[in-house]
Amino acid sequence: MFKDLNPILHSQLRLAVISLLISVKEAEFTFLKEKTNATAGNLSVQIQKLKEAGYIDVIKQFKDNYPQTICKITPQGVNAFSEYVKSLQTYLGQK
Amino acid sequence: MTEENFSPQESLRLIQSMITKTKQDISDNSVHFLVWGWITFIACTGQFVLKNIFNYEKHYVVWSLTVVGIIFSNWYNFKEEKTRKVKTYVGESIKHLWLGMAIAYFVLSIIFTKTGWNTQVFPFFILLYGLGSFISGSIIQFRPLIVGGIIAFIVAIVSVFAPYDYQILFAAGAILFSYIIPAYLLRYKNKHSKE
Repeated sequence: MFKDLNPILHSQLRLAVISLLISVKEAEFTFLKEKTNATAGNLSVQIQKLKEAGYIDVIKQFKDNYPQTICKITPQGVNAFSEYVKSLQTYLGQK
Repeated sequence: MTEENFSPQESLRLIQSMITKTKQDISDNSVHFLVWGWITFIACTGQFVLKNIFNYEKHYVVWSLTVVGIIFSNWYNFKEEKTRKVKTYVGESIKHLWLGMAIAYFVLSIIFTKTGWNTQVFPFFILLYGLGSFISGSIIQFRPLIVGGIIAFIVAIVSVFAPYDYQILFAAGAILFSYIIPAYLLRYKNKHSKE
């Protein structure tokens, strides 16, 4: 039934991450973990998948001698999210 | 969160709940409005009192209070930066707006000192106070700041017709309506939305 929905985004955790990143400029890994209630391992895997799809940029750096991972959505990610929402609306008969 | 297939309705609910969660993270800006509002208000009224009641020649010395504001703002921003996990477009826009405003005040002070137009400086300052409140209010969608900005624009026009000594009082009034009152209302709103 949902075969037209982008499979990269039609996954709860990846969709949650993209939905968080769509409304902010950038967010730390810990912020995403806190808001999604996901485990660090699962979140890392899903972030890697979004990165490989070109939907997000991942910046690894140091802040006060601690490693810090920052994620931000790319224009490609914004387009994919927009298309995904349009497809959802079609399924829900809102178009 | 699980990875199994879920319905479009659940998808929409998830998107909505995540966007709501980021909204809750917009930090409280009212502290800067309060600190700078009171510093400028005290400086304006202080200068008026020193100049007109005590006839003190160096009445402008009260403006050195702004150093306290600069130290506080830098300390507060440094502390916030250390604990901040997310950068929002709203937060970044507000930060750049007020950085630009601070530079504009500095440039204006140099222009007026150099040209000797010091007696006309306050209408320009009031105009800038209003602009800052008006744009901040529009960005964070908080009407009292927008209204405060409009009041400051009107006060800027009216103050041109007043003698210099009273222009200082007009500036204090503009600060009260465009910074201090909206800041208390914003603080009240933020406090209640968190409860």
